[in-house]
Amino acid sequence: MTPDSLTEPTAAGQPMPRRPPGVPVEIAAVSQVFRRAQLETQALERIDLAVKPGEFVAVVGPSGCGKSTLLKIIAGLLAPSTGKVEIAGRLVSGPYTDLGIVFQSPVLLDWRTILDNVLVQIDLRGGNLAAYRDQARALLAKVGLAGFENQMPRELSGGMRQRTAIVRALIHEPPLLMMDEPFGALDALTREQMRIDLEKLWLERGQTTFFITHGISEAVALADRVIVMTPRPGRIERIIEIDLPRPRHKAVITSRRFTDYCEDITECFMRHGVIQY
Amino acid sequence: MPGPWRWLRQRGGMIAMFIALFLLWEFAVKLFGIKEYLLPPPSKIWSEFLKRQSTVMTGAWTTTIEIIGGYLLAVAVSIPLAMAIAYSRFVENSVYPIIVFLQIIPKIAIAPLFIIWFGFGLFPKLLIVFLLCFFPIVVSSVAGFKSVDPDVMDFARSTGASPARMFFKIRLPQALPEIFTGLKIGAALSATAAVVAEFVASDRGLGYLLQQYNGQLETPMVFAIIVLLSLIGLSIYYLVELIERLVIPWHVSQRPTEMTGL
Ligand SMILES: Nc1ncnc2c1ncn2[C@@H]1O[C@H](COP(=O)(O)OP(=O)(O)O)[C@@H](O)[C@H]1O
Ligand SMILES: [Mg+2]
Repeated sequence: MTPDSLTEPTAAGQPMPRRPPGVPVEIAAVSQVFRRAQLETQALERIDLAVKPGEFVAVVGPSGCGKSTLLKIIAGLLAPSTGKVEIAGRLVSGPYTDLGIVFQSPVLLDWRTILDNVLVQIDLRGGNLAAYRDQARALLAKVGLAGFENQMPRELSGGMRQRTAIVRALIHEPPLLMMDEPFGALDALTREQMRIDLEKLWLERGQTTFFITHGISEAVALADRVIVMTPRPGRIERIIEIDLPRPRHKAVITSRRFTDYCEDITECFMRHGVIQY
Repeated sequence: MPGPWRWLRQRGGMIAMFIALFLLWEFAVKLFGIKEYLLPPPSKIWSEFLKRQSTVMTGAWTTTIEIIGGYLLAVAVSIPLAMAIAYSRFVENSVYPIIVFLQIIPKIAIAPLFIIWFGFGLFPKLLIVFLLCFFPIVVSSVAGFKSVDPDVMDFARSTGASPARMFFKIRLPQALPEIFTGLKIGAALSATAAVVAEFVASDRGLGYLLQQYNGQLETPMVFAIIVLLSLIGLSIYYLVELIERLVIPWHVSQRPTEMTGL
């Protein structure tokens, strides 16, 4: 890695050169209490977590345990009640901009074509659109959207729209990717394919990835480490290293070790009454 | 298929229906010997209109100015006000309740007051048109400006975009469909508003002429003016809809059914 790989867009407006793959994320004693009228909700309780550069971390937990809250705090979209977050050694205090975000719904802009929806990432940053156009086309093609660049979002299926959202989150080559149940609204087959494609993109680019899901096998299939959270107040119950080879082909995700990991997490949820038989 | 033919095929039924209706009207009036001052036949309405054409067209011009002037005034005030209400908690809590309260006052009932305050000229008419159009535009625009998905805003904030860029690239385009809903409701009300204003006190305009002809039992002219007023109202409505098509084609084309669509 050469020092100039750290430079911002050049004067000629060229896309940023390849950057160091991922940033470290340090979450220290983060708690969150929401106060609304008389009601106090302890959403997160003392979350400590160190994410290594380029690591793929999946967070699983039941609905309402504070996963989205944690993502927003890391991204600087929400200030924690206590504790702090550092990304690449710098304290997060306000929206952190050197990242890409994907939500459960693709939140594309209805009035822009697919290509322009990808480029809005650059547009909002005041960047040079022309410099990114080819890259956007290439990345769209990579996720199977070649030929759809000039379609409007409503003309595409839910899966295709979500692919567009992922491309939009990666077009500026961020060293950090935050995903909040990105496949939650998709059917099982589309979901499986998107998981495979996401792993490919991550293997190529190596950005630190924070992936929220309530799918246990999805978490195990994607992550280097799975963070298991318990219901309110949201706490980290366990951190499980997933020691499985990559890419996680069919043979891997049908292996005994894979199912053991899944069972382990399921049992953890059963102990906390999240899953009951 | 060439444009005109397609248009004719789509609208042919409607046009034929209108022609049939007018023919029926014409012959029914003659057949049953209905008196002209009760229900004149279309042919009579047309011939009377041609005789008084210049008077009526001068009146139509006056009324059109009142409609368009009052409407534009309403647009110019409503949209910035809606922005202030949508983006400032203080303005929302202080100004919005007053606007809602004003809406409850029957505006037609306060029209005579405007005559006392501002006389017989153009201004009180503009004011009445303004008042009637204003409310639907404000309400729809506030809803539009507030309708942004919180996830979209989180995405936008994560790019570090400036407030101005966020407004022009996201908030405003997002709000436009609802703003146009208000603009169309306002446009549909504007012609009625102008006529009411002229009814209250005026010495010109189609509302004034309507009252004159009505008083003299010149029923064909009353019909002619009603038709003309409808045409003016319709033209203004379609003008707004045309602008909507040009400004937000992405939204118009996704609307499942067109409310109208001549
Ligand atoms: N802005 C807010 N105000 C009040 N309560 C909130 C707010 N955001 C989230 N919560 C509450 O915090 C808890 C965690 O929410 P969230 O992080 O969305 O959970 P998850 O994403 O795991 O489903 C929930 O009980 C939710 O109702
Ligand atoms: Mg959530």
